[in-house]
Amino acid sequence: MKTGKTTKSKDGGKIVLAPSGASPRNYGLPLPGIADEEFGGSLIVLEGMDGSGRSTQIALLTEWLESEGFAVETMGLRRSGLVAKDIDALLAENTITRMTLTLMYATDFYDQLEHRIIPALRSDFVVLADRYFYTLIARAGARGIQRDYLNGLYEMALRPDLTFWLNVRPEIAFEREFRKSHTISYWESGRDLSLSDDLFQSFILYQAKIKKEFESLSRRHGFLSLDGEASVISVNNELRKRIAAHLGITRTHYRPSSALAPLWR
Amino acid sequence: MPNCINQAAGPSPAGNAVVTKYLHSVVIMIRRGNYVTSDPLQAIDQLPSNPEEISQEISEKLEPSRKYPGALIVVEGIDGSGKSTQLYLLKRWLEINGYRLHFTEWNSSPLVKSATRRGKQRRLLTPTTFSLLHAADFADRCERQIMPLLHSGYLVLADRYIYTAFARDVARHCSPRWLRNLYHFAPVPDITFYFRAPLDVAVKRIMSGRPKLKYYEAGMDLNLSLDRAESFRIFQGRILAQYDEMVESDNFVVMDGTLPVNSLQKQMRQMVKARIDLSRFAPKKSTRRPL
Repeated sequence: MKTGKTTKSKDGGKIVLAPSGASPRNYGLPLPGIADEEFGGSLIVLEGMDGSGRSTQIALLTEWLESEGFAVETMGLRRSGLVAKDIDALLAENTITRMTLTLMYATDFYDQLEHRIIPALRSDFVVLADRYFYTLIARAGARGIQRDYLNGLYEMALRPDLTFWLNVRPEIAFEREFRKSHTISYWESGRDLSLSDDLFQSFILYQAKIKKEFESLSRRHGFLSLDGEASVISVNNELRKRIAAHLGITRTHYRPSSALAPLWR
Repeated sequence: MPNCINQAAGPSPAGNAVVTKYLHSVVIMIRRGNYVTSDPLQAIDQLPSNPEEISQEISEKLEPSRKYPGALIVVEGIDGSGKSTQLYLLKRWLEINGYRLHFTEWNSSPLVKSATRRGKQRRLLTPTTFSLLHAADFADRCERQIMPLLHSGYLVLADRYIYTAFARDVARHCSPRWLRNLYHFAPVPDITFYFRAPLDVAVKRIMSGRPKLKYYEAGMDLNLSLDRAESFRIFQGRILAQYDEMVESDNFVVMDGTLPVNSLQKQMRQMVKARIDLSRFAPKKSTRRPL
């Protein structure tokens, strides 16, 4: 399955051009110092807000892929060796401004791309990304940073082989998150945007903004949208079906180990 | 709709001037890599067809924004070109005369400092993350110091600015198009002084004062040479070439870094007086303390 279509060739006479240098593996530019080689491996992205079931699915997919004999590497936001801790500290302080935060997240993303994803792909790993730069674009876009700027910033990112978007209504996501951790994060509810004094309202309004950004990203990048409100089992079945087709796995039966069994609902 | 746009669109005897400006803009845009595609015909298609539109687009990036009452003076040049000394002397002159000013240095935001330091110490930085961290540092200073001060009518003096990133990061093989986009939010300076000193002169000045060159400073990450001094020399040479490329496209005022300090400073002060109405930054009567 190809997800790489980004541009409509002709739209009412106006030609939309892919940036020069766009390749099947990037969005316009190769990373400096890294030739635009054909890496092996596969990059599979799961997007969706907190409470959409991403982490649960990643845990299950990792186990399934490993049982099928695939080596798995994961990535996510704020997990780079370079700046993850600094971002945590900056977020706690609240003095950071939107552009600085955008660029710190970009640093975190590219550090993982260069030091984690690319080496893993070269070694023929399946990389499961618990969120990708799409979330970063959506968040920055919701805070008023120009779309062109953001697309340019991530021009050197690798194009995933598959991108799934777990779609959930904000109300449901809020309830799931609250049940799990009894709190909702300041940033995940967009409180820096002063949308509402009420935490729940703020979360709903903010996630609606993010969803709008995601709808436009989905058109541009060809996400596979899944119903994140369905049961864990049925979302997982759907994910495995698509991933199996991509990786050429014929036997798609999977039963989680006892360690993960509580997730299997 | 703002008045200025109506006026610009109205009947005006612009004629040749507009066309010239248009062509100049096209050249600069192509040079900067804004509109590069593999097919030249497509590149032409991508250019806005209305000359005024493109001129407006490019002048936004070339000419200082007048949306604020402040002014921005920048010094650029390779290490050892004398730029910091000159900016210091300019600052002293302005301070002694009581002008409202703020001085800002490249790579100095406390928010980003620890990340940069860690990255450098452990040599974790790639050309991309090196560039992004410096951009984050700049963004922090830009959003929290430079822009608010320009809006409140300060004269802002910057020791190194976005051109340092353009020169250094292109020397590290980052894409010029990507870099220009990265720093798109930066206000265009009122004056950019480019201190140009021959490579030998600059390198000699640095080597005599600083016996130990740092890893990234010497461009050791680029595998230019195993010898740090030699690597530094090659790296600075590349940066110098990048600065020279920008003289025209970014309106640099070229200063001969080999001239005596005081005569350079005289030129600099004259240029500032000629280009910037300093009376705007003079101490306000109400704030002046009685003697």
